[in-house]
Amino acid sequence: MTFRVAIIDYGAGNPRSVLHAISYLGAEAEIIGDPDRLKGFSHIVLPGVGSFHSSINLIRSRGLDEALFEQIKLEVPLLGICLGMQILADRGSEGGETKGMGLISGDVDRFGFDITTSNLKIPHVGFDTVKPRLSSKLFAGFGEEVDFYFTHSFRLRCASGQAVAADAWHGEPYVAAIEQGSVAGTQFHPEKSQRNGLRLMLNFLERF
Amino acid sequence: MPKKRLIFTLLYQEDAFYLSRNFRLQRVGDLEWLSKNYEFSAVANSIDELIILDVSRGERNIDAFCNTVAEISANCFIPLALGGGITTAAEADRLISSGADKLVLNTTLTRDPDFVTRLIDTYGSQCIIASIDYRIENGACTVYINQGQERMGFSLESYLCRLEQLKVGEIYLNCIDHDGTGTGYHLDSLEMLPRSFNMPLIIAGGAGNQKHLLQGLDCSQIDAAATANLFNFVGDGLPRSRAYLLENGVSMARW
Repeated sequence: MTFRVAIIDYGAGNPRSVLHAISYLGAEAEIIGDPDRLKGFSHIVLPGVGSFHSSINLIRSRGLDEALFEQIKLEVPLLGICLGMQILADRGSEGGETKGMGLISGDVDRFGFDITTSNLKIPHVGFDTVKPRLSSKLFAGFGEEVDFYFTHSFRLRCASGQAVAADAWHGEPYVAAIEQGSVAGTQFHPEKSQRNGLRLMLNFLERF
Repeated sequence: MPKKRLIFTLLYQEDAFYLSRNFRLQRVGDLEWLSKNYEFSAVANSIDELIILDVSRGERNIDAFCNTVAEISANCFIPLALGGGITTAAEADRLISSGADKLVLNTTLTRDPDFVTRLIDTYGSQCIIASIDYRIENGACTVYINQGQERMGFSLESYLCRLEQLKVGEIYLNCIDHDGTGTGYHLDSLEMLPRSFNMPLIIAGGAGNQKHLLQGLDCSQIDAAATANLFNFVGDGLPRSRAYLLENGVSMARW
């Protein structure tokens, strides 16, 4: 089947690198900023750069949240990337305490380990290892440890492990990827993670 | 802990790519030449990050630069850093919308630190790479700006302290005396790092073979080794270097 993928553009960051990756996989991809045009796609990708607060406000002010909820109700698969995954959670504290889209039960806060006694750095930038859970569809065919490219200072933690698709550690444990029904998300950037990232995006297209 | 990185830096000027030796530029070829002789997208499979710098000595043409960047990076699924003479928010925005994940700043770090702070507010610390050029003068490292032409009156150590306070995301450290010589990195500079230094550090300038990359990445303070040497590393040079680094126990991403 032909995949038709909408890449949400809400005026922060650059959705083009995601577009390149999706097109490279042979799918049709379109950048969508107008909520009225978010219809009839087989998959949706929600990228994100900036802060939790500013991004969710941009999405709401453009009416994109309503359009996204409508598509999720229709079970159109959604992949949030980096901040695009974080804002699917209940709440976040970046840029001030902010309510998220509430699709995933969890909290987004700054890394909490003591940076003065650690040789680890914040922001967490670079390729790092994630541990996929066995049931994950995004990581189907991957081994027990896989490397992906991260760049972030805030991280998602979930009270229940139900939606967690992969775990990671940077001074403390945090969620590297989520899956719940037709909703998925990655803290890392698959579009910047060489073959590993392309393979994960193909899994999203083929298995969701 | 994030993996150590291998970075390739492309030096661009007016539609062509250049080799640099002690900051003197030698033309190698244009984009067509680069794709034909070096299959750049294959090379990109062996590196963790790509940096493209507009090192034009005359007036810069940002449109032409961005068009070239778009062609090179279309099939590169790795982080991309762009830089060269950025002095305005409009230029920064242009490079970001051309696909830059990070911006490389140099001269503007000292000329206009307030502008750097505004860029950090807009794009975040992780987006800003501070590039430092220095020369070895009587055993000390002296900072130069403006394409290595303008000597600054301060040491590398005090400059690094200032940049850390400015909250830049990473440091790209390039020794002008080693640049393009193929004699290895100037690792003595690591002794000049401030005691509290805790920023990601990219070492550049002087790598001529895979052993030099290993020497750099074996240093605990160094997060990434960069090379801009088209002749020594492109072709199968980078794939072989990456395999060599992995064989020698460097913690690097696998894909």
